[in-house]
Amino acid sequence: MNDLLTPKRLIIRLLLCLALLFVVMFVCSLIGTQKVSLRAVLSGPGSEPGQNTDYDIFVRVRIPRIILAALVGAALAASGVALQAILRNPLAEPYILGISSGAALGVITCVMLGAGITTSVKLGVFEANVSVSVFAFLFALGTVWLVWLIGHLAGGSGITSLLLAGVVVNAFFSALIMLLTSLLDSEKLRSTIFWLMGNITEKDFSTLMVSAIFIVAGILGLFTISQKLNVLTFGVHEAQSLGVNPRAITFAAFVMASFITAVAVGLSGLVGFVGLIIPHCVRLVLGPDHRQLLPASAIVGAAFVVFCDTIARVIMAPEQFPVGVITAIIGGPVFLFLLARYSKKIGYQR
Amino acid sequence: MSIEVKNLCFAYKTQADILKNISFRLKPGFFLSIAGPNGAGKTTLLNLLSGLLKPTAGTITIDGSDLRTYSVKELAKRIAVVRQEFIPVFEFSALQVVSMARTPYVGVFAFESVADQRAITEALEMTDTARFAGRTLNQLSGGERQRVFIARALAQQTPILLLDEPTSFLDMKHQVGIYDLLKKLQLEKQKTIVAVTHDINLAAQYSDTMLLLAASGGYNFGRTQEILSAERIEKLFDVKTFAVQMGPKRFFFPIGKYARDNLS
Repeated sequence: MNDLLTPKRLIIRLLLCLALLFVVMFVCSLIGTQKVSLRAVLSGPGSEPGQNTDYDIFVRVRIPRIILAALVGAALAASGVALQAILRNPLAEPYILGISSGAALGVITCVMLGAGITTSVKLGVFEANVSVSVFAFLFALGTVWLVWLIGHLAGGSGITSLLLAGVVVNAFFSALIMLLTSLLDSEKLRSTIFWLMGNITEKDFSTLMVSAIFIVAGILGLFTISQKLNVLTFGVHEAQSLGVNPRAITFAAFVMASFITAVAVGLSGLVGFVGLIIPHCVRLVLGPDHRQLLPASAIVGAAFVVFCDTIARVIMAPEQFPVGVITAIIGGPVFLFLLARYSKKIGYQR
Repeated sequence: MSIEVKNLCFAYKTQADILKNISFRLKPGFFLSIAGPNGAGKTTLLNLLSGLLKPTAGTITIDGSDLRTYSVKELAKRIAVVRQEFIPVFEFSALQVVSMARTPYVGVFAFESVADQRAITEALEMTDTARFAGRTLNQLSGGERQRVFIARALAQQTPILLLDEPTSFLDMKHQVGIYDLLKKLQLEKQKTIVAVTHDINLAAQYSDTMLLLAASGGYNFGRTQEILSAERIEKLFDVKTFAVQMGPKRFFFPIGKYARDNLS
């Protein structure tokens, strides 16, 4: 009975993951184009604004950006875990399956209809902006359904048919996104393209707060069905024999995964492969039990995107480039490795 | 827990009936084997009994109540299903697989209670799988994997156990090993066991009652030794057989065209 997961074990492991996250966040907050001295930051904002630039940079620029990166990473990694479980495919991931593109198409459609891309995700402020996230969510959900349907028609249970469906849907949506982008005026163009490549920029605290609430709620929701996700990885029939209603759980997981993906895409555009790399690494260390895999992946995913974003900030300083470029450079080879590994011999009962 | 099947019919969407007017009653603690040629509907019948498929007509009654009145969760506390062994996508250990049997019993956050852990340990010990409980399923042989799935069914603590060709990919030693284990569960744990099999001789050795399904839609149900006769098997499977009587039991060997030439 040694390796059964107990609440105590889970909490200790998650606290270790959290400690890692905070160390990464702390170290990355000190790294940047502008040298920031910790002592200066701790001395406070000063009596008048602009007096202590170190403090201003640290609190108004670095911290919000790092929190944003962490939120995006947590959402994408958790979404990847959930999608892999319900699709019984270790290569499923919101970006590869085209769900991120779907959400992005939703955002751009909304932008075309009026909202500006830079202000588009002030979720907390009830202007026209709320509609952006609603659009992103609905498009993401529609995409999941579409990819699943095409994958099903194209070859049922095979591990690659679903990926092919994702690739095709992704290509189609990318074309639509390009079409819509080319119609944008030059003023919006640069920010839109940067956003599409997965760009993490400073957001105000209210946006961060509301996004954080949504993402944490989504991850907690997924956590409550994590044991059922375990069972579901054995197939629909097996799940039913073990007392899990496969349709209800699949639907709930699809909705929650699409939701947190849509929030992440709204925040940072298309950041790929996080949902692939992180769950795989966590599985190697902690095993496939979703009660542990899901929260641990969310925390490690947060640390990973913070780390990648720091690289994106400093590697070609003072130029900054989108974090999506970094995650894709790391993620591409990992994807190929996993594809070679998993296309050999796996199966499940229908 | 008794299983009663009354006038059961089933057809896949647009096709003709695959099962027609099947009725039988299985008393608690009995071992039933379901045999018949390919396409006769053996697995379909098992899926009907486990509630995965809904009958087009007729009823299945478990413990006095219609199968359809049970929720998914309640049914999982009464019927466990073992399918052909397979390697799952994710590398769960044998222990983790067996512990999933407790899903219908655990609360929202799904951590195993002391009672759950006891059921899991007992299942591992009875099936002799405790010694490789920490290994992942892809590190096990086919026979060991099938034992793990039987352990999971056992940890589910259901009075009824359904099995779909549990030994089809196993060698002789492991075939007998699995059936010995099933018989032990029947005798020591008073489980009602229903196994679909292609192996008439294993069925003849281990089961009390048999259901023979014909491709034409007919069926025979009764005590194993009364049901199994050379004529019936030759007609059912459309193959010549050689019958051997060993004590009270009768065994059958199929004889192909070339073998027949040599024997005559």
